[in-house]
Amino acid sequence: MHFFSVIRWIAWKDLLSEYRNRENISSMFFFALNVILIFSFSFSLDPVTIKEIMPGIIWVAFGFTAIIGLGKSFLIEVNNDCMEYFQTLPVPKGAIYLGKFLGNLLFMLTVEVILFPLFVLFFNLDILDQLLPLLLISAVATIGLSALGTLFSALTVQVRAREVMFPILLLPLSVPIFIGAVEATRGALSGDAFSMYSHWIELLLVFDVIFVIVSFWIFEFILDY
Amino acid sequence: MRFSQLSDMNAILGSSLSKSFQHYQVLKEVSVEIQQGECYALFGPNGAGKTTLLRIFATLHRPTSGRFEIMGMDGSRDRVKVRNTIYLIGHGSYLYDDLSVKENIQFAIGIRGWNPTDGEIKKALDQVGIGRFSRLRSRYLSAGMKKRLSIAKALLIRPKVLFLDEGYASLDERGVDMMNECIRTFTKAGTAVLMTTHDRGPTAEVAHRVGVLNRSALTEMTVKEMVAADALF
Repeated sequence: MHFFSVIRWIAWKDLLSEYRNRENISSMFFFALNVILIFSFSFSLDPVTIKEIMPGIIWVAFGFTAIIGLGKSFLIEVNNDCMEYFQTLPVPKGAIYLGKFLGNLLFMLTVEVILFPLFVLFFNLDILDQLLPLLLISAVATIGLSALGTLFSALTVQVRAREVMFPILLLPLSVPIFIGAVEATRGALSGDAFSMYSHWIELLLVFDVIFVIVSFWIFEFILDY
Repeated sequence: MRFSQLSDMNAILGSSLSKSFQHYQVLKEVSVEIQQGECYALFGPNGAGKTTLLRIFATLHRPTSGRFEIMGMDGSRDRVKVRNTIYLIGHGSYLYDDLSVKENIQFAIGIRGWNPTDGEIKKALDQVGIGRFSRLRSRYLSAGMKKRLSIAKALLIRPKVLFLDEGYASLDERGVDMMNECIRTFTKAGTAVLMTTHDRGPTAEVAHRVGVLNRSALTEMTVKEMVAADALF
């Protein structure tokens, strides 16, 4: 299936480029590390309060990390006019979007997996029992963030005020994702039964599907205007 | 006679093409026919609209008015089918700096649904004189080497229509000879080549026909007339 091979080639190219230059992942990681350090030294918290405010801290770190990383994801396509090559390709443009989305999702998840142990270390969290639900929540929320981030990165990459426009577009639309992610994370960190916060994960999944489908459809018009 | 019947023998057919950017008209009622296996060189002063015409045929711009066909397919309606037959070597190199020369080729061809063998890649790179750099990251290539790499990609893709925007730009003397050799290879295989250029000498060696785009209009001439002319525009 050529459609899936396009996705694979785009993701392969992005992952290999990132593996070699590490520009995006390192800037995302160090930004998130700064957020963690600032919050951990700002508050001296008891375990109960930590669990109350940790979902917010986690998703502030992940959210702004996404802005830094996803905002740059299409710069690689502009440097040598590679967008022009995409435009002349006889392939479905949606497949190009899905390839970029897959690459971004993997970057984001990689950074999040690296950051989780740092949250445990700096905030003395005991999350071993809730690790699987937390990873699930992260993955589901990150799908939505990556879907929107990939689309808006493509939209704003040629705009002069790209660094201003990208968060202006991304943040309002990602509010439902942040609400769902924070609420589900709060449930998981509090040790609630999965069924008590699973509806937030279901909500996130619904937004994931909507954002991926709509972005896939719109991308055709962005690239092939 | 219908438009599509007119174009049976043509690889590229443009009819009354006009293009404006804001209030500035770049192309005005330009018509051109280029046959399969023909190399057509397009001259003109800076800003005359050479690249714009090329980009219309390469489906990157839509004409303000007029129609065009590539290999008998409507350029505005059948864009995906048209893109299956064309390849553009433009001002950009279409390369990823952190991929090697070989990886860039694998990506550019692979995404089109074909995976060339190592031998085929090596042969194409050797043909354009950069075979020994296949493992070098493309960020270290000079502009001329990047142009050669673009030609290597075209050799592997084997398009039915090849667009060369400033084909000889960045190339040294050997590079120009290599480019002309490749153009001959393409035209012998039936590929139509449309190139914009400012270099009359090397162009005269490979071009079959010449067009001069000036003040939004296209004037055609033979290669002999082009060589003999004191000034083209």
